[in-house]
Amino acid sequence: MRSISAPSDPMRDPLLIEASWYDGRSAVRHEGEAVWEGGPALVLRNGDDRFDIPFSDLAYGERRGQTDVYRLASNPGFRLSLPHVLPPDLAARMPARSDYGAWVDKLGFGKAALIFAVVSASLAALFLTAPTWLGPRIPMSWERRIGDAMVGDLGGRLCHTPAGDAALAKLLGKVDPAGQAVRAGVFNADMVNAAALPGGQVLVFDGLIQQAESPEELAGVLGHEVGHVHERHVMTAMLRQFGLSILLSGANSGIGDTVFGLASMTYSRDAEREADEYARARMAQSDVSPIGAASFFERIGGRGGKEPEKPASDEGSMFDWVASHPAPGERARAYRAAVDADATYRPALTDREFAALKSMCADDPDVEEFDLF
Amino acid sequence: MDRQAPSRDVTPDSAFGFDGNWKDFAKIALPNQMLTILTLGIYRFWATARERRYLWAHSRFVDERLEWSGTGRELFIGFLLAAAVILLPLFGLNLLIQSLTLRGEEALAGWLTFVLFLGVYYFTGLARFRGLRYRLSRTHWRGIRGGSDDQGLGYGVSYTWKSFVGYLPLGLLVPWSMTSLWNERIGKMSFGPHRFEAHAASGNLFARFLLFYLLPIVLVVGLTVAAFAGYGIDQARGGEAIPDLGITGMLILAFFVWFFVLGLVAAAFYAKYYREVVGATEWADLNFAFEASTMDWIRLYLGDFLLVVATLGIGFTFVKYRHWKFFMTHMEAGGEILLDNLTQSTTRVAGHGEGLLDAFDIGAV
Ligand SMILES: [Zn+2]
Repeated sequence: MRSISAPSDPMRDPLLIEASWYDGRSAVRHEGEAVWEGGPALVLRNGDDRFDIPFSDLAYGERRGQTDVYRLASNPGFRLSLPHVLPPDLAARMPARSDYGAWVDKLGFGKAALIFAVVSASLAALFLTAPTWLGPRIPMSWERRIGDAMVGDLGGRLCHTPAGDAALAKLLGKVDPAGQAVRAGVFNADMVNAAALPGGQVLVFDGLIQQAESPEELAGVLGHEVGHVHERHVMTAMLRQFGLSILLSGANSGIGDTVFGLASMTYSRDAEREADEYARARMAQSDVSPIGAASFFERIGGRGGKEPEKPASDEGSMFDWVASHPAPGERARAYRAAVDADATYRPALTDREFAALKSMCADDPDVEEFDLF
Repeated sequence: MDRQAPSRDVTPDSAFGFDGNWKDFAKIALPNQMLTILTLGIYRFWATARERRYLWAHSRFVDERLEWSGTGRELFIGFLLAAAVILLPLFGLNLLIQSLTLRGEEALAGWLTFVLFLGVYYFTGLARFRGLRYRLSRTHWRGIRGGSDDQGLGYGVSYTWKSFVGYLPLGLLVPWSMTSLWNERIGKMSFGPHRFEAHAASGNLFARFLLFYLLPIVLVVGLTVAAFAGYGIDQARGGEAIPDLGITGMLILAFFVWFFVLGLVAAAFYAKYYREVVGATEWADLNFAFEASTMDWIRLYLGDFLLVVATLGIGFTFVKYRHWKFFMTHMEAGGEILLDNLTQSTTRVAGHGEGLLDAFDIGAV
């Protein structure tokens, strides 16, 4: 047993406590006493050797069975072992014991856990809702700059012919009558897909144009993507993905998860419905029949009901960020329900214009073919 | 006056010991797990420090316990540094590659992908080095710590090229790259005033490695023959009558044989590997040994598997406990330590934790 003498008046009778220490310079262990005379320092005594250790220099290390190990701020290798149970007036001078880490120790486990839970839940709520209100408030010019930095001119893969460009512009005018900052292009890739890229650039893939049987079908798809741009869904999706990756960076430590998590951005179901609603409203304004769009989705839904606009061949590419759409059957019904019996619909494009759009990529000698490696 | 003789004889069967128990560890690990979840993962740095403090404190080397002096705060700072210095640039590079691909600059994108690939290897090597250095610098024994004055930048280069050379001749030089990297890494570390030295040779590993290397081929051939035999049984029984029984049965069997036999052979290789590299490691007048047999390794991993499955994942937090205990109980050392000569390490102490290591998810305990 270690002996402790506890005198009534520490100023006259010093406290003697059995102690052992390593001096931090060599591995030799020293045994002796710690003496406290009531002053601001402990005196370590080992035979004739004695030296002072100011309380302000002591830091708590850890508990070792019936002893506590203390460290010195001024000498990182120094270790002092004292009995766990000390006379109360000395214990009051020793540095506080710590276990979990400063904050949790101060608050206690239960209180700390509760505070952490509340803070985490509010942070999670903030991160999950922020994109929805923050996205539309980010200036379109910023988004355009981000978009240009990310995709540029798409490596010359947009098809251009004078007649085709004119037809596309006319069609865009039908679904974007206000003529806002939307750019549309036909992307030279043989996939049934369309996408809204950051910066208000809408792409209709040539593969989708070849599938279309009437200009009204294209108007539905184009209107949907323009809807994503107008409702600022692209920015919202980018922010949500960004926020999620920050939120998860605490929990996951692999770089893989963070890097590749960003490449899998999708819109919410609500965003998809809003984009469709936008398309139907603009088409109604421009007297474009929704039946074309309905039959397009029906035709595609008939082929196994798979998501039509999600290409299988370019997984992991940027187009997966922006193109993932709800089941076509549901969308077809919504378009059919939008048919107004009293309206007089006019063709969205003339036959000649529609043909120009169809042959746009074949007729453009300069366009680059799209393939990933 | 020192009551102890200034030197310690290290007898091989008592140099290292572990006297922790999982119930005490659970009192640390389970609240840690809860706080980690409640703080969205941020507490895990402090959790790691607490768990290591327990594991180190219950580990004995000769006549004194180890002590972990690392803190959660420095691990957290290390993580932030690694995120800023490594992860953000890697992430930016990845975005740049995607963007270049879309712009039609496939050749440049291809080169950058290669650079990214090399970068990941380089930083993996650097992270392993820094992780070991950090752990040694926070491990105290009798007040003395370890460390390294090397930054590990050169080791990152070695790790990259030796890994590639190891894979190049159909992977046959992998044992060489493993032992040579061990020698290089350990040889740059020190404890107190003394450097570690390692001279592991790959020749001793090669037989086991060939077993590991050739067995899949033997298995594929064997199982194919067996599958055809199974098909033959089907045919003999009249083909249509009992369809699939032979082939499906064989496939399921093949699956189990594959993982069971490969796991066994991998354990045999790693057991030999650790016996070789630890056995070839020296420090001052001490030599080390790692006595875990192939069966010990199999029991370790089988135990991990059962622990995690039986507790639906909650037991995962005990895996590090089991591995540390495995390490401490199988580690041996022989020789003599002169305590007077074992003076404090003069290596500089990195102010932050193993952030880089953490970011790449490499780590033992
Ligand atoms: Zn959409």
